[in-house]
Amino acid sequence: MRLMITAGIDVGSLSTDAVLMRDGETLSQIIINTGAMARSAAERAFGLALSAAGLRASDVDAVIATGYGRMSVSFADSQVTEISCHGRGSAWLSPKVRTVIDIGGQDSKAIRIDGKGNVVDFLMNDKCAAGTGRFLEVMAQRLELELAELGREDQQAARAAQISSMCTVFAESEVVSLIAQGVPRPEIVRGLHLSIAERTAGLANRLGLAPEVMMTGGVAKNPGVVRALSEKLGAKIILPPEPQIVGALGAALIAQQKHARQSV
Amino acid sequence: MMDVEGFMRHMLWDRRRWNRVLSSPLTYTLLGGVLRLTRGNWPLDAMYQMGVFAFNETGRAYVGKAPVVWSSAFFPVELAWGLGLCPFSPEVAAAYIATLGFGEETMSMGEQAGYSRDICSFHRCIAGAASAGNLPRPAALLASTHLCDGAPLLFQNLAALYGAPLLALDIPYNSSPEAVRYVAGQLEQVWLSLADVTGQRPDRDKLAEAVRCSERFRAQMQRVNELRCRVPSPVSGNDMLGFIYLFFVGQGSREAAEIAAGLAKEIERRVAGLGRSGQTGTQTEKYRLLWMHLKPYYNNELMKFVEQDGGVLAMEEFSHVYWTPLDPEQPFLSLARKTMSHFAFKPVTERIRVMAELARKYRVDGIVHFSHHGCRTASGGALMIKEALRDEGWPVLVLEGDCIDGRSEACGGMLTRMQAFLEILQERKLGCAL
Ligand SMILES: Nc1ncnc2c1ncn2[C@@H]1O[C@H](COP(=O)(O)OP(=O)(O)OP(=O)(O)O)[C@@H](O)[C@H]1O
Ligand code: SF4
Ligand SMILES: [Mg+2]
Repeated sequence: MRLMITAGIDVGSLSTDAVLMRDGETLSQIIINTGAMARSAAERAFGLALSAAGLRASDVDAVIATGYGRMSVSFADSQVTEISCHGRGSAWLSPKVRTVIDIGGQDSKAIRIDGKGNVVDFLMNDKCAAGTGRFLEVMAQRLELELAELGREDQQAARAAQISSMCTVFAESEVVSLIAQGVPRPEIVRGLHLSIAERTAGLANRLGLAPEVMMTGGVAKNPGVVRALSEKLGAKIILPPEPQIVGALGAALIAQQKHARQSV
Repeated sequence: MMDVEGFMRHMLWDRRRWNRVLSSPLTYTLLGGVLRLTRGNWPLDAMYQMGVFAFNETGRAYVGKAPVVWSSAFFPVELAWGLGLCPFSPEVAAAYIATLGFGEETMSMGEQAGYSRDICSFHRCIAGAASAGNLPRPAALLASTHLCDGAPLLFQNLAALYGAPLLALDIPYNSSPEAVRYVAGQLEQVWLSLADVTGQRPDRDKLAEAVRCSERFRAQMQRVNELRCRVPSPVSGNDMLGFIYLFFVGQGSREAAEIAAGLAKEIERRVAGLGRSGQTGTQTEKYRLLWMHLKPYYNNELMKFVEQDGGVLAMEEFSHVYWTPLDPEQPFLSLARKTMSHFAFKPVTERIRVMAELARKYRVDGIVHFSHHGCRTASGGALMIKEALRDEGWPVLVLEGDCIDGRSEACGGMLTRMQAFLEILQERKLGCAL
């Protein structure tokens, strides 16, 4: 019997990620920018994942789409929310995880899962981009730093600058005046990371923090935020090898289970 | 139903014409005819009947056939019916304004009149419509201090705007026999003053008749709720949340009692398999939900989305008949007891107890608390409610949103939360992956 091949596609507000799996083994994973067209980003990511694995679309038994653009993925067999997918992906990577914190481009979520990776409860930030990856993107641009440089910059800080506004627009003008006052850039960066950590810890504590804690989504690639959050929560944070693809991974896993059930 | 909406939108698109259109008897003759054509399109005939009732009463108010009294959501409106007046609920009007697609512009008028965006959008919408002069002029305003703390304040402003008296009911936070007598005494005073202000003769027989109608309404709605216990649900709770006019304005009228009786019969026929197309229930029922507070009345995908995913509102907090039978011989005492016995006007543990009881009785799979922005009464206790009901074994979603104001809501976010919650229910129910 041929082993089942599934794909998970996570169309996020910033990145579109694709994972191909065969019977619990990852064949390929792709991260690209979503850009302005969710539909074509999904097609492109899927295509790249297929060629990286040396497969054709017809080799794939089931595709599940997730992320805010999940509804526009017309070639997917079904759509599942990123909440369930991040939960499932995290549990598969580390079965002892009970709390998942996903910070992406526009949403941050705290997710409680059981031993099987099923979601038990969750909370999501409300309406605006405060405390999400987009906030950091705006600030990095203002500080003339690449996203990947934020962590290193933070490490050089002797203290954190005070950033009191959660609102992206107001915080940006705070950053402008800190720059004008000659506050060293690393201190501003640490201040920004603390402010994100504060807000995220609020969300996680409101849900109730159960160990172990895993952080997923692109912001988990920023060691400054991870450290600040770990301190605020007073808990160790487990990081996946590639935090940005956990949603797509979860989608591919759910597709395996669902498909296996249907073919019995 | 869409036809009426489209027609209304077309007729009313120009704000300057609003008043002329609304106060012309011709409007009601014309639209009444259109409404009659839609009868077959309503999911329940009782909804159509309520539409006709609301429509006729609105016409009566705008054309000025009887003195209009504004009544806030939890005020015992039986007093107004008992004087032959025309009660008007601005909160319900706000919901209709939102349904017809005029919510945004009306609310921004309210905001321009000085109402903060943190204030409940029902109230902002009312304030906007009032400041534009688009609502029927009240001879008096009735408000009570319980449950909705914003209403008596808004009504004070509106009373000043229209130069009409505000008759307010002070409801104490306990229901001792003295407190009940205190409220009953106030109700009698309000009734007498209302008669005086509107030039009606206070007729006790007429009041008793209104209380009798209200009691009939209560009994019929209880019958409806008993019928709704069955699985699959014989009626969609989303439709039931459309009966706001009956609950907030109708109680005490003969029409509301008739419509409730008709609704009970209609559901009975469905249960017996005799309904339209032999339908016995909501065919796609996958999850049974208990729904707390109201729903978005503006054009929004949420409820359609829930139903498409197999979610059925098996019961709503709103539809629960919490009060005991009314005695027409003791109108003021009965109405005082009814008004004071609302489970949300008690420590939050009472609201939790009642919801748990409903969740068990209606065998629901999960509970959704729709947390309407700006409503402290409903949302203030949401966290405690969630924890307590979760500890009793139900998954609970506190869904933040707005009933009237669609501007500030990230619709995608709301649908994602709802879908993720339904995924939790599916997981629990089927014990396997999505
Ligand atoms: N190399 C990096 N170093 C630090 N931060 C990064 C890096 N790459 C991405 N990020 C952060 O991750 C964010 C995007 O995360 P992700 O790709 O998980 O979002 P998304 O899934 O598209 O968004 P959402 O889930 O909110 O719709 C960016 O806004 C940025 O702050
Ligand atoms: S939603 Fe709450 S605040 Fe608004 S009118 Fe109703 S009870 Fe009052
Ligand atoms: Mg994401």
